[in-house]
Amino acid sequence: MLAFALKRLALALLVALTVSIVSFSLLRLSGDLAQALAGPSATAADVEAVRKAYGLDQPLWVQYLAWARQALHGDLGTSFFFKEPVAAMIAARLPVTMTLGVSALLFALLVALPLGILAALKPNSWVDRLALTLSVVGQALPSFWFALMLMILFGLKLRWLPISGTASWKSFVMPAIALGYYGMPTFMRLTRAGMMEVLASDYIRTARAKGLRAPAILLKHALRNAIVPVVAVAAVQLGFFLGGSIVIESVFALHGVGYLGWESISRADFPVVQAIVLVLALFYIVLTLLADLLNAFLDPRIRVG
Amino acid sequence: MTVETFSGAERILEPSAGALLRRRVFGHAGFMIGAAIILAILAAALLAPWLAPHDPYAQDLTRRLVPPVWDAKGSWLDPLGTDQLGRDYLSRLLFGARISLLIGFSAALISGLIGTGLGLCAGYFGGRVDMVASFVVTTRLAMPVVLVALAVVALAGGSLHIVVAVLGLLLWDRFAVVTRAATHQVRQLDYVAAARATGCSTARIILAEILPNIMNALIVIATIEMANAILLDAALSFLGLGVQPPLPDWGLMVAEGKEYMFFSPWVIAIPGLALFTLVLAINLVGDGLRDLAAPENRN
Amino acid sequence: MRGKLAWAAVALGLIAPAAQAGKPDDTLNLAWSAQIENYDQYFNTVREGIVFAREIWDNLVDRDPRTGEYKPLLAKSYRWVDPLTLDFALRQGISFHDGTPFTATDVAYTLNWLADPANKVITQQNVSWIKSVEETGPFAVRIHLKAPFPAALEYLADILPIYPHDYYAKVGPQGMSRHPVGTGPYKVAAAEPGKSFTLLRNDAYFKESPKGRPAIGRIVQRSIAEMPTQIAELMTGSIDWIWQVPADQAEKLRQVPGVTVKSAETMRIGYVGFDAAGRSGATPVKDRRVREAIAHAIDRAAMVKNLVGGDSRVLDAACFPSQFGCTDEGVKRYAYDPALAKTLLAEAGYPNGFDIDIYAYRERPWAEAIIGYLRAVGIRAKLTYLQYAALRDKNWAGTTPLFYMTWGSNSINDVSAILGNFFTGSPDDFARDAQLKSWIETGDTAIDPAVRKANYRQALQRIAEEIYWLPMFSYVANYAFSADLDFSPDADEVPRFYAAHWK
Repeated sequence: MLAFALKRLALALLVALTVSIVSFSLLRLSGDLAQALAGPSATAADVEAVRKAYGLDQPLWVQYLAWARQALHGDLGTSFFFKEPVAAMIAARLPVTMTLGVSALLFALLVALPLGILAALKPNSWVDRLALTLSVVGQALPSFWFALMLMILFGLKLRWLPISGTASWKSFVMPAIALGYYGMPTFMRLTRAGMMEVLASDYIRTARAKGLRAPAILLKHALRNAIVPVVAVAAVQLGFFLGGSIVIESVFALHGVGYLGWESISRADFPVVQAIVLVLALFYIVLTLLADLLNAFLDPRIRVG
Repeated sequence: MTVETFSGAERILEPSAGALLRRRVFGHAGFMIGAAIILAILAAALLAPWLAPHDPYAQDLTRRLVPPVWDAKGSWLDPLGTDQLGRDYLSRLLFGARISLLIGFSAALISGLIGTGLGLCAGYFGGRVDMVASFVVTTRLAMPVVLVALAVVALAGGSLHIVVAVLGLLLWDRFAVVTRAATHQVRQLDYVAAARATGCSTARIILAEILPNIMNALIVIATIEMANAILLDAALSFLGLGVQPPLPDWGLMVAEGKEYMFFSPWVIAIPGLALFTLVLAINLVGDGLRDLAAPENRN
Repeated sequence: MRGKLAWAAVALGLIAPAAQAGKPDDTLNLAWSAQIENYDQYFNTVREGIVFAREIWDNLVDRDPRTGEYKPLLAKSYRWVDPLTLDFALRQGISFHDGTPFTATDVAYTLNWLADPANKVITQQNVSWIKSVEETGPFAVRIHLKAPFPAALEYLADILPIYPHDYYAKVGPQGMSRHPVGTGPYKVAAAEPGKSFTLLRNDAYFKESPKGRPAIGRIVQRSIAEMPTQIAELMTGSIDWIWQVPADQAEKLRQVPGVTVKSAETMRIGYVGFDAAGRSGATPVKDRRVREAIAHAIDRAAMVKNLVGGDSRVLDAACFPSQFGCTDEGVKRYAYDPALAKTLLAEAGYPNGFDIDIYAYRERPWAEAIIGYLRAVGIRAKLTYLQYAALRDKNWAGTTPLFYMTWGSNSINDVSAILGNFFTGSPDDFARDAQLKSWIETGDTAIDPAVRKANYRQALQRIAEEIYWLPMFSYVANYAFSADLDFSPDADEVPRFYAAHWK
């Protein structure tokens, strides 16, 4: 187990490094950072002075190492627009995005798990077909359109939920639905497939033969086995939610990391964009690592591979 | 002797393999519906110059936000109403179909080429090559796609080519993963070993023996990525960093229409519905292909 | 530390009930899409920064928006000793929000600090006329000007708030942005750059102020990027006041019960700018005939009637009609004539039109309408839509050949606030016309109003003749707010919440 964990950790670190290099290069190669830093009313001499002062005349790999060294100490640079340290800005907005991501995951699981179980219990029944239809329809809806429709229905016409901001837990209901519904079909399919496989297995048939009652079998044994792939996928899906919350955050005016990322792109505030790409990638990497380790822990067969 | 004659007669009376396939295809409701919708949209896109009542770019500021014909204030002049610059919505919808289909298809093609190439090498050669390829895929999965796409478009400009290129360069991961797994499986088979034994070159084996056998899986993935590309392009346009106006891209139409969504809801409802229909159809076809190619996967 | 507070805030928010909006709570909830990046008035450039500043700080004098006269605010009286010297006698007994007393040192320190170019105040035009300020007594100051500048009072009244000197010396612009301190009718309870701010009524605000006594107890502002979200919030009552509502939405909102809509023409003008000097390289718009073609291609009257609406009017001179020195006498007019546009383009060597990049930062649909008109004459313009700060940077770097922008002149009712900014060789200058520059500078510094007007008239005629700008129209601001609120907009586009009260 330990060897497996260490190998996976080393891989995760390598991926993180690569992502940081890619995002660094992508943004540095885009324009003249010295000009942007020196400000618009700077003369050519000012720009050169800034270039030397910030080490922007060095080759790209030297600049990267400097940035990486700073980043390891928690200094992710300073925003061009706000003139504040980026790390603090991201830390201030992270709770909103995390709350949104986790709520979206909970919503997706709350709908997908029962549906998947029911569909597995009664394959090819109307429940099964309903679940299948829901998932096909759900994946075809553009998320922003769905979000706007939700806003009109629940926010404006019915007045059940607040439209924007983060005033209370209610503010996260519509955003969670709008973000989470896209991941629901995957969970449902997984649960259904996993449940059906386990229900048909020898293990369960033996338990049934021993006389254990159906609900007991279902809950204790089948579910525990079927849940393994779902948990792993859930961790990865959370990573996707965190990285893909931009549209939802902008529609519902939630001041999270995604919203900051989009605003920074439209303001050409590159230190912020770079840092956000890195932070979101790190979250994804950590979550995938956890999922892998969890999977290996629960299902020993994986550790060997 | 009599037994042989009977079994021969039975074999002649049995339906052919082709007929069996046709029956299955036409019997699969989801696939048929999806295919029909896609064909209709394709036809609309191809025939747009003849079907469209007006030039999709012709603006008329005196006829802004006219409702569709079924509303009291609508008229047959613009059956689906006009947008905020007075442009006919039906025309924009028809020409927009071209853009959506073009983006979906091109992005799927580019990402397919990249992902399949990567997956084939990884699956066939195994070992170090596989490790490197898996690493590349993991790195790509770790990057927040929407953010990166936004950043690149913001830097490089929002032309159609750039958007297609960005989407193609970002959506190849599923191709790679599936191709790798499928190649791995096929590689073990007898006829591949036979080909190797007879001294066929690696390239020949990959292209002639392996690729045709994983085509089924690839086509299914292609439909998934096509749908993804269309939705992602719509999201980019919604955020203002996709294709630029005045192109009648459906996502852009939703983005521009959201300002008016309370009082003129058709401006976002119609393109949103169009996107939904197209993506739904593509998904149905993809699901249908998966079922038809390997019905045992369903249960 | 801030991270922990943020988590706590979300956690509390998840259990605490939502705050009440509006009259029952004596809280005015505002929403707008702009983000104030720095609450220090001298380091932000959005209009909303000025709105915020008027609530928190006071200037030396205050211009009454209705009558136009300068009322004494922090200063009791003023006197022009000579064209280069301006004396102020200051009020006594005023304190800043942190309790420190207001004295002449605060005025001298603030203005001297701003005038120093090393401190990099963003809009240098606002402060570059000041040479130095000296204290001539505990409650008296003397301002020395570099050159005669008749518009000085206008600037002092509008955008030069006075800061507490020891606080500012200690914390600087960053500190001032996090915890703004002033003498104004409201004090800051919380201020998060880019997100929101909360103000509380300053009950100790001095009674003699021409701003009056503030009535509303609390003001809470949120930045909401999307207009539909703002409108939805207004309709459900969680937000009490929004502005910059597009004309057609405003019309529809008038019919919604519980919502009041008011429109006012503003001093803001929209214009199409051209890189006539060729700073961005060899672009088609360097040729005057191309610029003229574009001028004839756009139906400005149709845009005014159908898009801007209200009291907006088509403008031909590069200024707002009420500004001192603004005139369209002898200014060349360009009628809507697409056929002529195409002929001119062919003459200039573009019979099949050309491709060009166009930039904008607000009113995207109007920029698209312009693109539509250009397309009709063969010019294929590709839109790059940015936030104001990013576009301003591109402008200053000279990389924008064609752009649709606006200028509110900081609500200064003098043509120097617009011409002086754009046509005298600053990074905003895309004309680089030495004669034009000299006319404007003469107008800026002459004492005799007739001389000023004559020079400005020549400058405006020149701008129109060469089509350095195509002025489009004046802006109408549409305000939509709760029917419980008694609020009157002013023509200078600075909403005064200290003058608003519940019905």
